[in-house]
Amino acid sequence: MDFILEGLVTAVRLLAGLDPETFSAVWATLAVSGLSLTATLLLGIPLGFALGYFQFPGKRVVRTLVETSLSLPTVVIGLVVYAFLSRRGPLGDLGLLFTVSGMAIGLTILGLPIVLAITATAVEGLEERLRFTLLTLGANKRQVALASLWEARFAVLLGAITAFGRIVSEVGIAMMVGGNIKWHTRTITTAVALETNKGEFGQGIALGCVLMVIALVVNLAAGFFRRRAKP
Amino acid sequence: MSAPLYEAFDLALDYGSQPALRLAHLSVSAGSILGLTGPNGCGKSTLLKILAFLLPPSRGRLLFRGHEVADPAAARREVTLLLQEPYLLHRTVFDNVVFGLKLRRDNAGREARVAEALAMVGLDPERFARRRWFELSGGEAQRVALASRLVLRPAALLLDEPTASLDAKSTARIHEAALEARRAWGTTLVIVSHDHAWLAGVADEILDLRPADV
Repeated sequence: MDFILEGLVTAVRLLAGLDPETFSAVWATLAVSGLSLTATLLLGIPLGFALGYFQFPGKRVVRTLVETSLSLPTVVIGLVVYAFLSRRGPLGDLGLLFTVSGMAIGLTILGLPIVLAITATAVEGLEERLRFTLLTLGANKRQVALASLWEARFAVLLGAITAFGRIVSEVGIAMMVGGNIKWHTRTITTAVALETNKGEFGQGIALGCVLMVIALVVNLAAGFFRRRAKP
Repeated sequence: MSAPLYEAFDLALDYGSQPALRLAHLSVSAGSILGLTGPNGCGKSTLLKILAFLLPPSRGRLLFRGHEVADPAAARREVTLLLQEPYLLHRTVFDNVVFGLKLRRDNAGREARVAEALAMVGLDPERFARRRWFELSGGEAQRVALASRLVLRPAALLLDEPTASLDAKSTARIHEAALEARRAWGTTLVIVSHDHAWLAGVADEILDLRPADV
């Protein structure tokens, strides 16, 4: 029990003293999460909207593929991205392995199906009355599409927050593609795994606390948008 | 008698193999108020959607201002429908009412026109303009939806059961707003209602639709 208490005391000291190594992992986490979330939203919202809004041959197959990829194991994503980015891989010349950008690619693959599926479901769930209302108010096809996406905005934001929660807490892809390099690609989750293995509970607990605060903020935001989506 | 705004001949609409509307002839004079009644399932709401250019008829001819409409999107800028259960956009009252003007890039005096439309349906713009869609009662939401149509000063305003489940005050306001639209802009009104007494007090003429044919 003593080592846990010692770990808590060390955690408070590290956080209060703005320990550079601890905060390097926090900044790396925020950088890689921000980068991958941006890419996830830029790709996921238009694709998700198209999937939910338009009727096209093979739509059900695409939906099934997207929903299946929601449960893709992170180590499998890490393995595939590692294989593509490694020196012998097809994208090896880009030099992205063990970089923040490389990690962001893997985490984008993780977050993309979440935003895609939630956006598509939100758009599919829009009422027929909305389409009639927009048309009878004089909207053309483009205006109907844009206004429909705007009506689904709270659910889309909920998808973004859900994806962020998944990305920020991920460890497998970050470890395999990032390499857990100190001051560089070491994130909160990979640092916690490493420090715990080393028996350094203080830094592990400190970083765990930061992750819990991020999770709390994400959860509060998700709750807010969930309530707004269904007033 | 003014020229007809709408004329329809042998109009029919089917949902698959299910006939939804059969109408031998319809003529609606410009600036008039036509009431539509009939039993459930006779196609009253379907007819309004056809007149609003939201649904194309399966068969028959529909003339608007004496011509068949080649571009329904352009015609929808002149005609608007208030659905039986209106949908309010997830925005403020002001943003709901101004929405159609924004679509038309009609920027002149937007705020004054929104205030005018809200006043027509008996809602104080000062009190209601900034309210959000979920802060309204059913009657207020119905009146905001009507205001979002009135602000467009349409050539034809089609109302589907506009007073269903409304209190007497809201019903009276909608009655007054409909008459005011005709007086101010010469708007033609086609109103579906089961409330025969109310409809008789508003409409110039009442057409009783039958399920099979009229």
